[in-house]
Amino acid sequence: MNEGNPPPGNSSPDAAAPGNPPASTRRSVRDFFHLIYVSIFRSTYPTTVRQRLAVVVNNLVLHVHPTRIYQRSISPSYTLGLGLICFYLFIIEWVTGVYLMFYYEPSTGAAYGRILDLDQVVTFGRVMRNLHRWGGEAMVAAAALHMCRVFYTGSYKPPREFNWVLGVGLLFLTLALSFTGYLLPWDQLSFWAITVGTNIATYAPKLGPKVRYLLLGGPTVGSDALLRFYTLHVIAVPSIAATVINYHIWRVSKDGGLAAPTENEPSDEPGAEVTPQPTSPVIQTFPTVLYVELAAFAALMALLLVVSVWFNAPLEQQANPLQPNNPSKAPWYFLGLQEMVSYSAFWGGVMVPTLLTVFLVALPYFDRKRRGIGIWFAKERRPIMILWTVILAGIILTTAIGVFCRGPNWKFYWPWEPWPGPPA
Amino acid sequence: MEKWLAISGLVLTAILAWVVKDAFHQEWTEYQETYYRLALLEARNEAQKEWATNQKFQVKQLRSGDLSTVERCTTCHLATDNPRFRDAAEPLRQHSDLLESHPPEKFGCVVCHGGEGRAATTLEAHSGGRGVYKPLLKGEYLEAACYNCHGFDTLPAEDTAAIRHGMQLVNRYMCQGCHQIDGVGGEEGPDLSDVGTQRSWLWLYAHLARPQAVTVGSTMPVFALSRDEIKDITIYLMTLRKSSQQMYYAAALEKASAKSTPLTPEKRHVESKPRASLRSVVTYEGADLFHADGCIVCHSIGRVGGQVGPALTHIGWKLSTDDMKKLLHNPDDVLPNGKMPQLYLTDQEIDGLTDYLKDLR
Repeated sequence: MNEGNPPPGNSSPDAAAPGNPPASTRRSVRDFFHLIYVSIFRSTYPTTVRQRLAVVVNNLVLHVHPTRIYQRSISPSYTLGLGLICFYLFIIEWVTGVYLMFYYEPSTGAAYGRILDLDQVVTFGRVMRNLHRWGGEAMVAAAALHMCRVFYTGSYKPPREFNWVLGVGLLFLTLALSFTGYLLPWDQLSFWAITVGTNIATYAPKLGPKVRYLLLGGPTVGSDALLRFYTLHVIAVPSIAATVINYHIWRVSKDGGLAAPTENEPSDEPGAEVTPQPTSPVIQTFPTVLYVELAAFAALMALLLVVSVWFNAPLEQQANPLQPNNPSKAPWYFLGLQEMVSYSAFWGGVMVPTLLTVFLVALPYFDRKRRGIGIWFAKERRPIMILWTVILAGIILTTAIGVFCRGPNWKFYWPWEPWPGPPA
Repeated sequence: MEKWLAISGLVLTAILAWVVKDAFHQEWTEYQETYYRLALLEARNEAQKEWATNQKFQVKQLRSGDLSTVERCTTCHLATDNPRFRDAAEPLRQHSDLLESHPPEKFGCVVCHGGEGRAATTLEAHSGGRGVYKPLLKGEYLEAACYNCHGFDTLPAEDTAAIRHGMQLVNRYMCQGCHQIDGVGGEEGPDLSDVGTQRSWLWLYAHLARPQAVTVGSTMPVFALSRDEIKDITIYLMTLRKSSQQMYYAAALEKASAKSTPLTPEKRHVESKPRASLRSVVTYEGADLFHADGCIVCHSIGRVGGQVGPALTHIGWKLSTDDMKKLLHNPDDVLPNGKMPQLYLTDQEIDGLTDYLKDLR
């Protein structure tokens, strides 16, 4: 251990070359920078095993990691990196969102013009708005896929039940973030999407219309709704989400890292001692995991930037309450709901979402058998996986019909069929 | 792992550089570059040369305090006040003389030309792309913009010919049988009093040509209109506005010249009273009246005609001539909750129509 000690003096052969300062001056400059380095990181660059463990514990950013993890936990084919992607997208949304906040104004008269300004003349405004838009939509998709990954690998089983519940909460928070942001451009698309989206809430008996009134601050989408959605979008929901995200990630290491299969099958008896013998080799978090995470961030950011330069976030004409879009569609992740509502308001708008929520929250407390943990599509879990897959297929199918196949008056059109409408 | 980190880091850096280049290279920077280069070539003295050399590339804005508008058209249209660019190609072309009486610092551009003033790309400013609802007004459609501030009184007659024709056509085809304009008309279709701000001329044109192709399930009949008729009706409809901006101009205009009387909705209403101009143009009788003047649009005889009202193929069996006359005089007396509009027919017209209808057996 040589924490806090300067590195051994270095007198290289070129020290005596003409024009170079004397070795003693160079050494004192080096010592000075070393002083600053140590004042920040409290130790020299870790080289021994013990130092590498210590640096993870002592660093604010790194300490959410366990000091050692299974080799398989950083294998891309196991986690697909989806949880990490969700986290990164949240950070990207945060940074780009603050940038947009410098220009945005949540009033019905000014909002649309501000968005046009951002798109047209603000330096980096367009790419920032595109990043924010596509990042947000990607976050909804990544959160849903992350949940599927955790399900299909059986990673919600004890002792990780509660972290699954937190994850379900985070999925809903992600939807809330995206949905509240949807209104802010105040164009025809956002106005009618929020009108339709909040109308789905009214199908719940008694409470539904009241919830909608509370959310909109009035019977229809207007200036109060815009202010409420703005406040929810930029401070209320993000601060809750940030808290839960931190808790969720902290719980991962507290629950023993990512789920991994064990050599000796643990007992299902409650209270039985669990001594997992990992089948995968253990590696130190520093520096390998750090490198993997940074590389994943660079790749994600690069991809998102390319998408944001090539594809512009949608913007239609300024919102006009007198002129409904036909069809008026909710945001894509609620189109499965809207599609179901078009068959039956009560079943599609109330029963199915309620049952799904109960199913998701209750799942880890009923499916407790400690078999097939940390393995993709484990044979022991076949029945529940079939159930999940059927539900998932139903959601994807109804959503796809809503997104691609519904035209004016909610009539069915194949994606390649043209809709009637004004000339473009 | 270090290798992957290095590769992804390099890729990200390269893409960031590309993003920065993309953000600082806009369509309008090219136009400004061209304009200042041309201005330098055209410069006749040192001062002009110095001016052209020292220009910075920047977004230019016209702000109208009274209208609270921000317009960036002059970011690309740089030569609007430069007489040496009179015959140049757009966007670097001098504006017509109208600019002298309509200073852009005061009025901006959009109030006459339409389009999206805040935009700084051709696609979005001229709304050829995603903003399809706010296209530029072109050619004769500009008449609607002139009229919106000036009304009929101060404009030369030839500049409002299309509007007048459109108004006549609206009367002739009895649009107000189904649509309200400034409180007059039926309630079958949407109120058109503000249609000029609600819809673009592109939408109106397409809708008039074939309503069901634009609005699914529209009950509006397909009128057999010529292109010129569609154009003129569209121009007239573009003048139907309630926007406060137009009223502001009207008031300002009134103040400026006490002589000219700007057009308020009340006045417009008088001018476009249903069928007011029609009877002075033509008089129809019987079958001509029925087939040429709109009845056929809602009612059918045989296989010809609209589906909005009942078929009249055998109406001669069903109604006595007295009932027909009563109904034509004022439909609400006979059918209190019916959709049939009050058409303000003369006794002569009612007699003609009844003569024709009683023979339909």
